Amino acid sequence: MRDHVPAIRASGAELVVVGNGAERFAAAFREDLRLDVPLLVDPELRAYRAAGLRRGRVEALSPRLPLHALRALRTGHRQSAVQGDPWQLGGVLVIRLGGALAYRFASREAGDHAPIGDLLAALDPDAPALAERSESSLAARLVGRGLSALVDPGVVFSFDRTGFAIHALSFDPDDLAVDLAGRRCLVTGANSGIGYETSLALADLGADVVLLCRSRERGEEAAERIREQTGSRRVSVEPLDVASLASVRAAAERLAGEPVHVLVHNAGVLPAERVVTEDRLELCFATHVAGPHLLTKLLRPALERASGARVVWVSSGGMYTRGLQLDDPQWRERRDRYDGVAAYAESKRAQVVLAELWAEELADAGVAVNAMHPGWADTPAVRSSIPGFWRVTKRILRSPAEGADTVVWLAASPRAGGLTGRFVFDRVPRRTHWLPGTRESAADRRQLWQLVERATAPRAPRRAAKPPGLALAGAMTPDNLLD
Amino acid sequence: MRLATRLAPIELRDWTGAPVRLGSLWAERPVVLVFVRHFG
Repeated sequence: MRDHVPAIRASGAELVVVGNGAERFAAAFREDLRLDVPLLVDPELRAYRAAGLRRGRVEALSPRLPLHALRALRTGHRQSAVQGDPWQLGGVLVIRLGGALAYRFASREAGDHAPIGDLLAALDPDAPALAERSESSLAARLVGRGLSALVDPGVVFSFDRTGFAIHALSFDPDDLAVDLAGRRCLVTGANSGIGYETSLALADLGADVVLLCRSRERGEEAAERIREQTGSRRVSVEPLDVASLASVRAAAERLAGEPVHVLVHNAGVLPAERVVTEDRLELCFATHVAGPHLLTKLLRPALERASGARVVWVSSGGMYTRGLQLDDPQWRERRDRYDGVAAYAESKRAQVVLAELWAEELADAGVAVNAMHPGWADTPAVRSSIPGFWRVTKRILRSPAEGADTVVWLAASPRAGGLTGRFVFDRVPRRTHWLPGTRESAADRRQLWQLVERATAPRAPRRAAKPPGLALAGAMTPDNLLD
Repeated sequence: MRLATRLAPIELRDWTGAPVRLGSLWAERPVVLVFVRHFG
């Protein structure tokens, strides 16, 4: 290793060694080997695991081990007692400036080493970067399909992280081996949870990502984290409160100048009590239905200009519990019985129907519109809005990245480009009704469109001064504009 | 996700005990990252 340091440095690269023993062994190791390079310790094997390096008793006890030891001794490398995890194997990565992987070697058995010629060749900036894709065998995919058929009729072992693991066996890794350079992707509610993970993954695939966030400050923090992690400089922030139609209009005006290739309606809320927005809409309806509808409508020309644009509505499995609510979508009649979870589910059902209607609307323009549900994911919104659910289920919840997988797939994969007007979960279109009485008629669907159109229509300014932002229902005068 | 993106947020300690975010290693120059089987 030491002999190759000059050649590596001559190419402009740095050699960094990662070991898995405790910190106290690191300095001695560095001195023993007279290695004048940075040395990092990873006793929990986090980087080893992320790098996909092998670990196993059989591999670590190679029959050729004594030969390797002898060779090491002859060349002057003294082998002392193993410090760290004795079963962990090593490997080498060459990562270019900005994060492209140029070379990867994972030891198959103790004592084998990366061919130095290949390693040095990968340092040539003109050498091609590796096509990165995870491995998935046909056998795993077939097993995945069989297991999916078993678990999918239930909810718990499908919506939870076990369900993701089973469904992921049938994912085609090539689906996300795509380059999104030049594709402009807008994500609402992008500073945390599924919105953040979606934005991170899209930036990782090379897209121009615009984080649409209520708070510019939180948006900028998220953008900075994404820039750091992906090395992408093409991440920006636009302030948007999707629950405010004025804010949607202002943001759309700033965003509509250039083509929009991907629009992700992710921002969500689950209020504890009935909140009415400045537009006199119930907060769930405003955030999940009215705002996204108006944003889609105002960005329609920008979506139509982009080739093969995609719109993704992040709905919820909770929508299965409710039919389309057309009689009292603002919870005016039911204000005394307001139930945030029910209001959430109703607005999520409306999203699924609205996505289908938008799919028809934009079919001729070649814009694919789909809704999806992420399963049960451990996001900040779940923790704060439904803490009881979170406490009971936290051990089985998916990670936000797992929850975001289908969003990214719908936004990015060539295969998903052929889907429109569908409700997708774990990369597979699913039925939209399970329970009797939740199915809507064609007339109901038309009525939803009209209702949302009325709710989002521009209005003459009112004379009475109103408090800015959100106000509690009790503080508002009743109105019948939407009835 | 790209391997570098998965590795970037991981924070390890260096031989002096100072924290190092892996992403910082390839922020300014290419890096050869050698994972050894063990120290010693």
